[in-house]
Amino acid sequence: MAKILIPTPLRQFTDGKDTVEVSGANIGEVLNALTTSVHPSLRNNLFTPEGKLRSFVNIYVNDEDIRYLDKDATEVKDSDTISIVPSIAGGR
Amino acid sequence: MIEINDTAWQVMVDHAKDAYPNECCGMMTGKDGQVSSAIPCKNIYQGDQSDRFEIDPHDILRVQRQAHDQGQELIGFFHSHPDEDAYFSATDLKNASPWHAHVVLSIRQREFRNAKAFRVDLDLTESTEEELKWPKS
Repeated sequence: MAKILIPTPLRQFTDGKDTVEVSGANIGEVLNALTTSVHPSLRNNLFTPEGKLRSFVNIYVNDEDIRYLDKDATEVKDSDTISIVPSIAGGR
Repeated sequence: MIEINDTAWQVMVDHAKDAYPNECCGMMTGKDGQVSSAIPCKNIYQGDQSDRFEIDPHDILRVQRQAHDQGQELIGFFHSHPDEDAYFSATDLKNASPWHAHVVLSIRQREFRNAKAFRVDLDLTESTEEELKWPKS
């Protein structure tokens, strides 16, 4: 099972766990399982009500952003580490 | 509440002064709202950086992982407003993280003037000021 690192502010939705292991052949399946059967209260933080990943959420498989891989279809192996990373910008 | 220690605060103010007249940006780590370390980042915004900033997501990934490994947390992000007040702009709001604190430093003529901290909602439509303490504040 792939390992997902949970950012500190989201651990309130994972029973305090900093790492969660979830099965899935690709990133879409892993995130869906994480936010439906494993820790459903995470869903609203990661996805819009329409089911799209929120604009500020970047997902990394090891050191690669899935936007530059196969997005939701990015293959996930048991040895992979998945990170949930916010995107930050701004200006006046 | 966000409380920033001496060392981290000095890094943040120095980074804001060094970047002037451009916006600086960086991250704050620590525990339970107590910021013990500030990490200056490169502003990667492609364009006029005097009123825009963007943090490289790889930098965020790296710092988040380091904090995780060290039992610390990524508390939030900071950036500067050169020759402007410390407010949370519409652009800041649209590009923020609802999971983290956001500190804005007002820098005028390369001198620190003021700072404020903000939180945003999940839909990135509203910001709320959060209590902020820094050395000598």
